[in-house]
Amino acid sequence: MKIDIKHIAKLARLRIDEQKFEKFEKDMQSIVDMIENLPDINEELALDKENPMALRKDKAVTNKFTREELLKNAPQVQAGCLVVPKTVE
Amino acid sequence: MELYKKSAAELSDMLRKKECSAVEIAQSVFSRIEEVENKVDSYLTLCKNEALEKAKLVDKAFADGKELHPLAGIPIGIKDNISTKGIKTTCASKMLENYVPPFNATVVEKINSADMVITGKLNMDEFAMGSSTENSYFKLTKNPHDLERVPGGSSGGSAAAVAAGEAIVSLGSDTGGSIRQPSAFCGVVGLKPTYGSVSRYGLVAFASSLDQIGPLGRTVKDVAMLQSLICGYDRMDATSKEIGSPDFAKELKSNLSGLKIGIPKEYFGDGIDSGVKQSVMNAIKEMEKAGAAVKEISLPSTSYALNSYYIISSAEASSNLARFDGVKYGYRTPEYENLIDMYEKTRSEGFGDEVKRRIMLGTFVLSSGYYDAYYKKAKLLQKKISGEFSAAFENVDIIATPTVPSTAFKIGENIGDPIKMYTADICTVTINIAGLPAISVPCGFENNLPVGMQLIGNKFEEQTLLNAAFGYEQLVGGFKCLPEIV
Repeated sequence: MKIDIKHIAKLARLRIDEQKFEKFEKDMQSIVDMIENLPDINEELALDKENPMALRKDKAVTNKFTREELLKNAPQVQAGCLVVPKTVE
Repeated sequence: MELYKKSAAELSDMLRKKECSAVEIAQSVFSRIEEVENKVDSYLTLCKNEALEKAKLVDKAFADGKELHPLAGIPIGIKDNISTKGIKTTCASKMLENYVPPFNATVVEKINSADMVITGKLNMDEFAMGSSTENSYFKLTKNPHDLERVPGGSSGGSAAAVAAGEAIVSLGSDTGGSIRQPSAFCGVVGLKPTYGSVSRYGLVAFASSLDQIGPLGRTVKDVAMLQSLICGYDRMDATSKEIGSPDFAKELKSNLSGLKIGIPKEYFGDGIDSGVKQSVMNAIKEMEKAGAAVKEISLPSTSYALNSYYIISSAEASSNLARFDGVKYGYRTPEYENLIDMYEKTRSEGFGDEVKRRIMLGTFVLSSGYYDAYYKKAKLLQKKISGEFSAAFENVDIIATPTVPSTAFKIGENIGDPIKMYTADICTVTINIAGLPAISVPCGFENNLPVGMQLIGNKFEEQTLLNAAFGYEQLVGGFKCLPEIV
């Protein structure tokens, strides 16, 4: 199957460098060609009962982090808030 | 005395007999780091001052007559995708270049509570995607056995540091072979535990249904000691399983008599280097001579495993890495026009090529119209592969295979060809797909480069696996894990 790099990049919120585009497209196509070889298994995908994921009882967890601690890693902060571009006109 | 050459078990004994102090051990490891780090480049962050402070506290506690954990005072390096409070955790990515976690991963909490001494954070392939550590944004790590060759990956720093004597033990993570493959390339012991036995809380997620943290060391006993410390139920990881508190090191038995070893013919086929095949077969013969029963088995779906692995792991990665958007933490592009522009520039500048390829592949296989052709088929195949392993374990105790089809390749040799790089994982990915435990142990050399043998166990049978590895280690009189670095 052919992979449409521009469309997938848009979905993934990525941009591929113009200079690298050709090699990137070629590499991606060969990866897609590789993974395509899968047998047809005539079964439905059932919920895996063996999965160790167990439901947990609800339990209130108190927040152990301070606002300052969390904002230390933020790229841009103003008055204790994250700065983001305007999204509503 | 060159304490950095000792095993964790030996150092633990020496500390208790007052033959050395924790400060002396830490100093020995750090002077070794000063000596060889400029050649090996396994660390991204060193924590020398904190380590020496911690070692002093351990010595004081011993002097006060306190009972400490067997691993107290033992220097450990940690892969840089495992969150360490107050210490940078970069995942070897520009995206997290300045990220300092406000919390510890559960495994790090356990390491701290056992009073282990953290030496620093270890290099890796960016976001654990790769098989050579060449995808690190920061530096190239070299194989201590041959500095022109890769250490393997993605836990390349974790394996190289242990092989170079820059740490006594280390932690890595394994999604498709990322502990075992570098362990094989660097000639050390590395365990990928059963999915669910070690908490993933605080491990930066790559493929959540396959990721598992595990120990690396120079002896099976050291790996067993570290695994005993880090395993166990954790409420913070919904996939963590209640397994009690096993002491694998205490229960180690070297007797191989009666052990049933399965040899899957699919893992000894054409793609495997003949020297590697020979070394692994010789090791199996040694075990047979010591009383193990060897039996040929078949795991017919093996040839599809790599395809299935790259579909499942990339699908999960594309979802997990969606969180890196430049909003709350991590890199943000300096100039942008609007929100979408900020997302796209941030992600394009912050991620390296391999990470982009995996995100793209994952997005592709999950995109409208392709789900049934790829993801669904891969998940069905996963079930089939698991079933084949379960059936095999009705007749054998462990399965033995090569860890990697070849020995360590040259730096730059495969980096331009993703498909060639992916095939380095061909013997290891099945184990993650089936959620099984597996260990890589050194089993000889091919052209002076280490060869790894992979032993695979049934789910939560880490003890059986470690016993088999320990039995082999005793047969060969221990592994020669510390090469001369030239």
